[in-house]
Amino acid sequence: MSPIVQPATRNGAPGASGAANSASGRNPQLLMFLEQLFNALVLGSIYSLIALGYTLVYGILMMINFAHSEVLMAGAFVGLGVSILITPHLSGWLAMALILLASMAGAGFLGFIIERLAYRPLRRAARLAPLISAIGVSIMITNAVFLWVSKTTLPFPKLMNDRVMRLGFFEASSLQILIFCTAIILLTCLEWLVRRTMIGKAIRACADDLGAASLMGINTDRMIAITFVIGGMLAGAAGVLNGMYYGSIKYNLGFLPGVKAFAAAVLGGIGNITGAVLGGFILGFLEVMAAGYLPNGNQWKDVFAFMVLIGVLLLRPSGILGERIAEKV
Amino acid sequence: MIQRIKLHLLVLAALIISACSQKPKSIRIAVAMPLTGDMGTEGQGVKRAVMLAIEEANASGEFSLPLEARALDDRADPKEAVSVANMIASDPSVIAVIGHYNSGCSIPASQVYARANIPMISPASTNPKLTSQQEEPSWTLPKCIFRVVPTDDVQGSFAAEFVRGKLKFNQVAVIHDKSPYGQGLAEQFHDSFIKNGGQVISFDGIAIGERDFRALLTRIKGAKPEGVYFGGLYMEASLIIKQARELGLKAPFFSGDGSKTDELIKVAGGAVEGSYFSITGIPVEHLPSAKPFLEKYNQKYPGSSVKPFDHFGYEATQIILTALKQTGADRAKLTEAIRSMRHEGVLGVTEFDQKGDTKNKIITMTQVKNGEFVIVN
Repeated sequence: MSPIVQPATRNGAPGASGAANSASGRNPQLLMFLEQLFNALVLGSIYSLIALGYTLVYGILMMINFAHSEVLMAGAFVGLGVSILITPHLSGWLAMALILLASMAGAGFLGFIIERLAYRPLRRAARLAPLISAIGVSIMITNAVFLWVSKTTLPFPKLMNDRVMRLGFFEASSLQILIFCTAIILLTCLEWLVRRTMIGKAIRACADDLGAASLMGINTDRMIAITFVIGGMLAGAAGVLNGMYYGSIKYNLGFLPGVKAFAAAVLGGIGNITGAVLGGFILGFLEVMAAGYLPNGNQWKDVFAFMVLIGVLLLRPSGILGERIAEKV
Repeated sequence: MIQRIKLHLLVLAALIISACSQKPKSIRIAVAMPLTGDMGTEGQGVKRAVMLAIEEANASGEFSLPLEARALDDRADPKEAVSVANMIASDPSVIAVIGHYNSGCSIPASQVYARANIPMISPASTNPKLTSQQEEPSWTLPKCIFRVVPTDDVQGSFAAEFVRGKLKFNQVAVIHDKSPYGQGLAEQFHDSFIKNGGQVISFDGIAIGERDFRALLTRIKGAKPEGVYFGGLYMEASLIIKQARELGLKAPFFSGDGSKTDELIKVAGGAVEGSYFSITGIPVEHLPSAKPFLEKYNQKYPGSSVKPFDHFGYEATQIILTALKQTGADRAKLTEAIRSMRHEGVLGVTEFDQKGDTKNKIITMTQVKNGEFVIVN
């Protein structure tokens, strides 16, 4: 590590790494790596929450729910609406919990409605029909919010006072810690729901074989609806966390994280819950490391992340944890 | 029966004749701005200013035909801008264009206007290429592109000299949004800062619409710059400033006129405190020559505040109207009149150089103090 700062050329080659001097006495390179790692964990946890929605639905219906990113966006707007209503009266943890629950409820309900109106009638149609229906729903919701709610970016309120906190020996913002913890709690809840409850068992049965599950007396339509509600709730929570993380929301905010989370789900092995979470964290890690360490990385981070994704899929076409004959959920 | 057919023919003939000899009932000035989306508030402001100028002109009774503004929304999207430009070019009653806002929109749209020889005056686009493209040997179209704002090379070097000369910073990091405006401004800053003996420790591009800059900012934080310069628009600027402060990157931020909006302060909140923004011209509230404009504006539009480029839009309209008085509604003659004009108005004296740029090249540096932009140079 050279203490001399290299002037950057216009086309990249940031001499950034050399400039950090060891003010803290510890290895600044390691310190920065830890901070970047934490950035990656927070980003990855949001991707994971969204990716689960894609994977749950695919696990049962073998269908890609392209409207999922709009559920995420709607969740963020519900969160904003509720926070405007309650912030004069409440603040802190209670407000945060209320907003999160309200937007989860709202987004879960939206997921339910979408399934009931746009997908269930097409259950026996050709495979492409629900896909097109999903794209249609996605465009409709985006435009509805654009036309009726807001055409511009809206600031998302700060629910917590934000501080730079020292975690051991590296710095992270309290907001990042909050988002990461919330996401982990939700992921744990989902794991418990799917593995330890009767509903989870029924969902897994449906994912194994919809017809057989139906013959065993499982109300498959209800299970599919529940899956959409669960996916919607996770997306709603992710929407609020996304709004808090970036401090602003907009009618098209779902698109980019939606596409990336979908990619994460495919990377992990679509249909596989652990795979979706793993894929989310891997994608977050790749992006952050590319932006943080490659020369001129921020411009190339998506290219890099998706190149790795293509590479993995070439070697393992069904994703990291996907199996060829899928035990899907 | 024959009588009736004759009558029908007569009516038909009358209709055809009237359709053919229809003269334009009004003269239109097109306003091509982002009217929706994140840049919509800025575009709406310019539109209001143009409407005000046109309303005054109509009231003055100096024009034989009524004047109209035709406002079209380019959504700050280059593709949309070109289709808007084509609509304008094919409307024979349009004699001139005020627009566009983003350089990325103005540059492709300007070629459509040039092909139709419609004079275009941009009240906000600052990338030098917009007018300098007319000087290139390959440019065979009429030179009808003008602007009333100083360009990025002026603004970028002004900011660099401010940071280097006045604040005595040695090392800065530069970020830009890869757009013709943002990258152009950042490159000017970069070159000028180095020429003045400073060091640029990193030069990074981000994508418009991107929302997570933490990895980049963490890296920049590790390099410990004294300041960070951003070339781009307010949405990305506000996210970058917010995230930098959250990560503990405390170095002052610098940006240009595209970031200096009230929305920036709304979205970024307290994080933006102390950041610097260079702007083209002098803020309208500090411009003595703009006092009558401000009064009329506030009277006509109570409740909507003046946006940063409104007085440029007003001035551009005044220039077109003055030319119109001299030449009448002819696109080509209008271009010539604008080129040789010396106009004294809201912005002081405006004259155009060979390229079509204004010779009035004032830049002002502002800083956010207690949630407001304050002049600091």
